[in-house]
Amino acid sequence: MNQKPHEDHIYIEALLKNDSRVLSKIYEKYSYKIVAMVKKNNGNADDAQDIIQETLVTIYHQAIEKGFILTCPFDAYFYLLCKRKWLNELKKRGNKKVTILEDITSISEEQKQQVEETELFEQQHQLFESKFKELGIKCQELLKASFKIKSMEKVAEFLGVSYGYARKKKSQCMGQLTKLVKNSTEFQQLKEY
Amino acid sequence: MEDERYITFENYLTNKLSNEELKLFEEKIQSDVNFKYEFEIYKALNSSLASKFSNEEKEQELKKTLTSLGNKHLKKETKVISLFNYKKLMVAASIALLIGFFLFKNGDPVYSDFSNHHKLELVVRSENNQAISKAEAAFNSKNYKEALEQLNTLSQIYLNDTEILLYKGICLLELNNFFEAEAIFDKISTGNSALVNQAIWYKALSLLKQKKYLECKKVLKTIPKSAEEFKQAKKLLRKL
Repeated sequence: MNQKPHEDHIYIEALLKNDSRVLSKIYEKYSYKIVAMVKKNNGNADDAQDIIQETLVTIYHQAIEKGFILTCPFDAYFYLLCKRKWLNELKKRGNKKVTILEDITSISEEQKQQVEETELFEQQHQLFESKFKELGIKCQELLKASFKIKSMEKVAEFLGVSYGYARKKKSQCMGQLTKLVKNSTEFQQLKEY
Repeated sequence: MEDERYITFENYLTNKLSNEELKLFEEKIQSDVNFKYEFEIYKALNSSLASKFSNEEKEQELKKTLTSLGNKHLKKETKVISLFNYKKLMVAASIALLIGFFLFKNGDPVYSDFSNHHKLELVVRSENNQAISKAEAAFNSKNYKEALEQLNTLSQIYLNDTEILLYKGICLLELNNFFEAEAIFDKISTGNSALVNQAIWYKALSLLKQKKYLECKKVLKTIPKSAEEFKQAKKLLRKL
């Protein structure tokens, strides 16, 4: 993956660096369109703020885990992500009529692809999170500790168990989680990745 | 049986398999579709959870920033500018426009009209480095000599940090070390960081400062339309 970042990749970097100066530009330049879209479609300013923030956090996750590189302008990419997210939210709330009419007409193949990539990432991310919560509390704690502390020796010490036991337990818990994901219907739909 | 399989996955991912086990593992990946499938899920989970838990604090910080930006930009929409203030605003704006007009209309454009640098803000880097705060304070108060010294120190720690490099270039430009400054801008603009266009813009400013108008024009024309610097570039081009 040797793609050339678009000029607007600064926004992705700003998310990674928590750079509020650059991030405030996102709010200045791009948010009014999203607020207008949400308001036109059964939402209010608070809904719009939530949608914007959740979308940005998703992009942040993708950037930090997968090294996401933005190769198209941020504007349409971000708008489309927010729009689709709002559509899903409306569905969740039980609105039956959820066709948002007004749309951006010129969307390049590349932008569409980047939007889909981010959405796919988000779906997987959410699936993993929800399955993680289905694990027993002991497994959750052990996994959390092992990914936070990194050295398994220290994890064992922290949990007051032997090193061998901690390692074995970790792979068991990960195995359980693997099976939960594998057998979920959502995962069947997420073929790629 | 199955536990065994996950232990193998874990050992593979942490490089703990012996050569022989590794060979067996690789064979199994090739021949057993289900084994491969499960391994891929295991690996994806591993990467996802590792990222999630080791960046939890950073994520919280980011959310705080976003919440406060959201509150600032999206919550005050009901505020209406009263007519009186609006009029005052218009007067102020037209005065500013007039002043701008006079400043720019006379003769060739000068460097100082265009050299409004973004503030240097490196604080977001996790370490509380003294050099960072010194560099910022010096740069933002236009003490470029001091800023350059601090940035030189920093660039030894953050070896490939384009932002630090760019600001070094700006300091050099301010101190009229054009040759070194331009070498830096050229280096950044041929790379593929997000700062490419900013570097091109600064190269143009350096040429402007030396009154090399023709070359400056040429460089300005290479700034793409999508760039944030495009507007300024166009403005400057009109005056050249």
